[in-house]
Amino acid sequence: MPEFILTFVDVFKNTYKGFLQAGLLTIEITAIAVVIGMILGVIFALMKISNSKILQTIANIYITLIRGTPLIVQIMFLYFGITSIIVLDNFWAGAIALGVHNGAYIAEIFRGSIQGIDKGQREASLALGMNSSLTMRRIVFPQALRRAIPPLGNQFIITLKDSSLVYVIGVSELFGLANRVAASNFKQFETFLVVGLYYLILVLIFSALLKWYENKLDVDK
Amino acid sequence: MIKAENIHKSFGDLNVLKGIDMEVHRGEVVVLIGVSGSGKSTFLRCLNFLELTNEGVITIDGKQVNQKKDNLVKIRAEVGMVFQHFNLFPHKTVLENVMEAPLMVKKLNKVEVEKMAHGILKKVGLSEKAAVYPNKLSGGQKQRVAIARALAMEPKVLLFDEPTSALDPELVGEVLQVMQNLAEEGMTMIVVTHEMKFAKNVADRVIMLDEGVIIEDSDPETFFNHSTNERTLQFLEMVDV
Repeated sequence: MPEFILTFVDVFKNTYKGFLQAGLLTIEITAIAVVIGMILGVIFALMKISNSKILQTIANIYITLIRGTPLIVQIMFLYFGITSIIVLDNFWAGAIALGVHNGAYIAEIFRGSIQGIDKGQREASLALGMNSSLTMRRIVFPQALRRAIPPLGNQFIITLKDSSLVYVIGVSELFGLANRVAASNFKQFETFLVVGLYYLILVLIFSALLKWYENKLDVDK
Repeated sequence: MIKAENIHKSFGDLNVLKGIDMEVHRGEVVVLIGVSGSGKSTFLRCLNFLELTNEGVITIDGKQVNQKKDNLVKIRAEVGMVFQHFNLFPHKTVLENVMEAPLMVKKLNKVEVEKMAHGILKKVGLSEKAAVYPNKLSGGQKQRVAIARALAMEPKVLLFDEPTSALDPELVGEVLQVMQNLAEEGMTMIVVTHEMKFAKNVADRVIMLDEGVIIEDSDPETFFNHSTNERTLQFLEMVDV
């Protein structure tokens, strides 16, 4: 058996306990970022399609700033920015930064899917005496949400992988731990192969869940 | 019951309605006809304020409607509309489609609304489809659900915008039958349609629009057999009566 496979198995055996912990941290950061991103995404999507020029402009500035700068810069910026005002550990700073980043992309996904709903739906709802906010909440948004599920799933997978970047502010999630492990065992190649595998497994599990959910929705309808 | 005076509507440079006056009394069935582009659908949409008029006054039950947003929401609850393309809510079952507005707008008790919705669905002959999603229905069934959905708000007047134009020919009859039943029950209806038979047999009045103005307003007998209006005669020659 080639040498590196033996080393690989060795690294795997020595580190899996730590990586399971770190994997949990990765999942937690991703989940928090997804929740924050969804909330911000809905708010900014609604601002973007509103009739108010001011709200549109605010949403445009947010989306432009987020899309125009690297995530790693946003993480550093938010970490040092926030922690100079309030006490916040690096885990939360990272999760919030990732969430704020996500919000801009999710806002664009929602905007597209809301605008993709046939305008007859809105008219039918208004014609029944429902006001604009009921129409959005009860008729347009639920349909837009269904339509947004595939691109949202894609965005969540990106978030999961992007969560590795919070290692720069010292969070010991999968990638952060891999860095530390590699620095101490000097088996960089094998260690990053191991951590790559963990990410792959997480992504595959998540994709499968998503596929299952999409199918379930199709059956429902 | 519903009265429109001097209605003007334009989209940019395009003047679609050029001063329309019309009054419809309680229980009356009025059919609007005209070639496409004559403004009949636009006029209908002005009557429930899906389009806001540029000029003119609409009066419902003696009260002049002011076109402020909050007020329009209230008025629309009293003016039902049935669309050419049904516009059923695809994420809700047939029953939920019918129950949605009474629950959300009138905030009525759910048990009572459900009972009422079942009653209305029975009336349009779709009791057994209550739990089904719209995509499982034929076009004719969809349109009957759309009528049931509008009826659930107990509107004072029901507007129909080409309700059978998107249907396969063999499905037109079932929708017209439901409409005829409603007319016989005394529902006030304004119908944009190309179904001349319906106009002849069910309408109390037939109104012909041409280039944004009313050119004829008479009872069906006069309209179809004794019209002297040149444009009306031209139109009647084109359509299959």
